[in-house]
Amino acid sequence: MCQWCERYGKGYDRWYFNPENYARKLYKIRKEEAEAAGAEAAPQAQVAGGMGFLGRDYFEALDRGDRATADKIKQEAAQAAWITHFGQVITLDDALKVIDIMYPIAVITCACRRSCEGMPDEDNFTCIGMGPGMYKWERWPDTYRGGVEFLSPSEAKDFATKLNKKGLVQTLYTFGTPYLGGLCNCDYPDCGSIRDRVDHGLRSLMKGHQVAQVNAELCNGCAQCLARCQFKALNYSPTMNKAFIDQFQCFGCGLCATECPQEAISLVERSSLPVLANEW
Amino acid sequence: MLPTIVFDDKKCDDPLSCRKCLLVCPNRVLGVGTKVGPRKYQEIDRHFFIVAGVRVDRCTGCMECVEICPKGTLKVNFPVEVK
Repeated sequence: MCQWCERYGKGYDRWYFNPENYARKLYKIRKEEAEAAGAEAAPQAQVAGGMGFLGRDYFEALDRGDRATADKIKQEAAQAAWITHFGQVITLDDALKVIDIMYPIAVITCACRRSCEGMPDEDNFTCIGMGPGMYKWERWPDTYRGGVEFLSPSEAKDFATKLNKKGLVQTLYTFGTPYLGGLCNCDYPDCGSIRDRVDHGLRSLMKGHQVAQVNAELCNGCAQCLARCQFKALNYSPTMNKAFIDQFQCFGCGLCATECPQEAISLVERSSLPVLANEW
Repeated sequence: MLPTIVFDDKKCDDPLSCRKCLLVCPNRVLGVGTKVGPRKYQEIDRHFFIVAGVRVDRCTGCMECVEICPKGTLKVNFPVEVK
């Protein structure tokens, strides 16, 4: 159980299976500060190309060897993210269950890919906006650049499955924690979230509830899984002729497991491994 | 060593159509976004987009972006080191 399951799970296996977390109170007269800030965390680069939470001050601190300042900036950024806008990696199975409990479901363009490579809107419909807020999409034309397309649950499941097969990681994002407004299909290096976490350890993207494990007896060293890891957790060892997963780096997305022709990779519950149980 | 990456926003008026510097950078240092801050009802005109150095810690100084720009809009400078 992650800290969000404890606080917002209300007994569900995962906090993101609790339907309450998809239904922001629409008729509150005064929005709480965090919720308002979350609503304005509409995913658009605030300064040109600035997807992500780390700015020049962080890079300058690192450059001059000032770890204390760099760590402080990261810590503050992570804590702000946990309140307004952060992500957690989930498996495709979990994503399909999430699609069953939230509505409406809208496919939208990805702000990260637009920011990182100027991807044209017509090729860029890879994110899912969730919940009643999507009915108001026309209020934020810059966020929903390219428009939105509403899908039925079964169409949305096909969509997520197709992108998972392509190699994109399913992640859930809050917009005013615990309100879950986004289900993204991410990859490195374009995803600002994955980039910040993998490159800098910024905890605005949290690991999933499972960890991948290779069954050495079944693994035949084909290395097909290598292409699937967006978190730099997978290695091929020529000595062993086996795939090697760094479980301390693994985010539990499951993409390697679904690719393995030998079905040699399985996902185990993070909570079952005492040392990794609190490694988010 | 961090670069100072400067774009001439007037010369680079439609980055979404060009994309050359964004795609040539081996380390995806550059990013495109809107110049105006987050506001409801923002302009969605593509001429409001600009490019800037974002992941400046990953710039290796290869200068591919400077060379590929058809309009010569960007400069990448590193601090002068005393040898």
